[in-house]
Amino acid sequence: MSFTDFSFLVFIAAIAILCRLCPRQSRSLLLLGASYLFYLTWSARGAVLLAVVTGLTFAAGMGIERARKSQTHAWLTPLAIILLAGYLLAFKIALLGPSRGIAGLVMPLGISYTTFKLISYVLDVHWGKMDASMRLADFAAYVAFFPQILAGPIQRPGDYFSQLPPVPARTADALPRIAWGLVKKLLIADNLAPAVNYVYAHLTALHGAPLWVGFYLFPLQMYADFSGLTDIAIGTGRLFGITGPENFNRPFTATSIGDFWRRWHMSLTNWLADYVFMPLRMATRTAGNLGLAFSISVNMIAIGLWHGLTWSYLAFGVVHSLYLTVDAFTSRARAKFFKRRRKWDSAASWMGWLLTFHLVTIGLVFFRAAHISDALWLLGHLFSGLGASGALFWALVESAGARTLAIGLAGYAVLELGERYRPDLWLGRISQGQRGVRWSVWGGVTVLLIFALALLLAHSGTPRSPFLYEIY
Amino acid sequence: MSDIVERMQAVFRDVFDDEGLVLRDDLTAADVENWDSLTHINLIVGIEREFKVKFTTAEVGSLHNAGDLKALVQKKLGASG
Repeated sequence: MSFTDFSFLVFIAAIAILCRLCPRQSRSLLLLGASYLFYLTWSARGAVLLAVVTGLTFAAGMGIERARKSQTHAWLTPLAIILLAGYLLAFKIALLGPSRGIAGLVMPLGISYTTFKLISYVLDVHWGKMDASMRLADFAAYVAFFPQILAGPIQRPGDYFSQLPPVPARTADALPRIAWGLVKKLLIADNLAPAVNYVYAHLTALHGAPLWVGFYLFPLQMYADFSGLTDIAIGTGRLFGITGPENFNRPFTATSIGDFWRRWHMSLTNWLADYVFMPLRMATRTAGNLGLAFSISVNMIAIGLWHGLTWSYLAFGVVHSLYLTVDAFTSRARAKFFKRRRKWDSAASWMGWLLTFHLVTIGLVFFRAAHISDALWLLGHLFSGLGASGALFWALVESAGARTLAIGLAGYAVLELGERYRPDLWLGRISQGQRGVRWSVWGGVTVLLIFALALLLAHSGTPRSPFLYEIY
Repeated sequence: MSDIVERMQAVFRDVFDDEGLVLRDDLTAADVENWDSLTHINLIVGIEREFKVKFTTAEVGSLHNAGDLKALVQKKLGASG
C-alpha cells in the first residue's frame, strides 16, 4: 500500500475514526497495530525484523539509562550504535549485489529512517536528553509510525513522546495538507517526470537544449515529489495526533549553500548535524580549518551515501562537501564585506540565490544520474551544439507530451506562489470570522479535497509511479 | 548583569557578529540569525577559551538554550574553583 493508493485513504480514514473512538491511553497500541498492518502489506519478514530490532533497542535503552545513572557499562552505547549502523550498512551493501543477498530475502521498509530513529533514541538516552521509554508499545509505535515509514520525516523520540497520549488534530487541519501533498505528487511531480526520465534515459544521444530541460526540471520534480510525500506524512500524522517535523522551507529561495541545507530535507540534515557533525566537530575543534573541512566532508558524504552506496551518491556528497567547506570558510569575510556595503545587499541576495540554485542543480545531476559518467555527460554537453539542438528538444517535448509538461510547469508555479503567499494561513484567519466567509473558505477547501480525490481516482488506473524517496 | 553573563554575551556577539545581541536564558538558535551547527561549535570553542573550561560532546549535546550553557559554565567553574 502506497500513499497514492486509494486504499491508503480508506485505511487512514478507518484508523482516524478508531483513534477518536478508543480511549486516549490505548491510542499508542492502536497506532502500533495500524503501523504493523501497513508494514505487512509490504513485507511480513520485514515486519518481523523491525519488531526484533525494536525490541533489542528498547532493552538497550533501559540498560544505557542504568549505565548513565550508575556511570558503569560505558561500552553499551557504542555497541548499540555499531550494531545499528552495521544493520543498516549490511542491507545497503547487500542491495549492491545482483542477487541483492539478504536484502532479496528480507528488505525492511524504510530501513534508513527507522534505523536513524533508533540511533537517535540510543544517543539521546546516553546523553541524558531524555529518559529511556518504559512502555514497549509507545516505543515500538514511535519506530514503526507508518505515516513516516516510507520517507520520513525523521522525528526525534523526545518530540514524538511529548505528544503522547495522542490527541488527534481537527480533521480540517490535517486533510488539506494531505490533499496538497497528493496534488504536488500527482499533478506536478508526475507531469514533470516524463521529460526528466526521457532526458536521463537518452543522455548520450542528446546535447544542448534537451539537456537544459533535464538539468532544470529534475530539481523541481524532486522537490514537488518529496515535499508532497512529506505533506501527506505530516497531514496523516496529525489525523492521529502526532505532528512530525517539517522537512522543507522553500529550499529554492536559499541565498547560500549553508542556507539551502537549512531548508532542504531538514529532518535528515538536523539529525546528521546533531549526531554526526556535532560530535565530530567537538573532537576536531582544536584542529582549526582542517577539522572543520573534515567534519563537513564526513557529514555531507554521509548524507550522500545514506541514499545508497553508489558512486553517484558519493559524488553528490563530495560536491556538497566542497560547496559547504568554501561557504563556511568564507562566510565571515562575506558577511563583513557586505555589512560595509549595504547598497549591494539586494544585488548580493539575487546573485547568491542564482548561484546557489545552480550549484544545487549541478549537485542534483549527480544525484539523479545512474552513473557519474552520465552526470558528466549532461554537464559537459549543455553548450555543445546548442543552436542545432532544436529537433532534439521537440522530440523530447513530443515524447514527454507538451500538455503534460505544461501542466507540470504551471502546477509548479502555483506551488511556489502558494508557498510564498501561504493562502492556507490567511484562509485560516478569515475562517475564524463571519459565518458566510467561513463557509466560503470551507467550500474552497472541500473543492481542493475533491480535486485531490479525483486525481487519485484518475491515477488509480495508470501504472503506479513511486515517490522518489520511497526507496530509502 | 553578572560577570559570567557579561563575558558570555561578549563571546555571543563576536561569534554571531551582532553587537546588539542581548543574552537571555531562553535564547535559542531560532532567535539568532546565523546560529547553525557550524557557528554553534564556534560558540562552544569561544566559551571554552573565555572561561578556560572544556566541555564534553554529551554536555554540548544536551544543551537546549543559552541558560543551559550558562549553568554548564557555572558548574565547570564551581568544580574547578
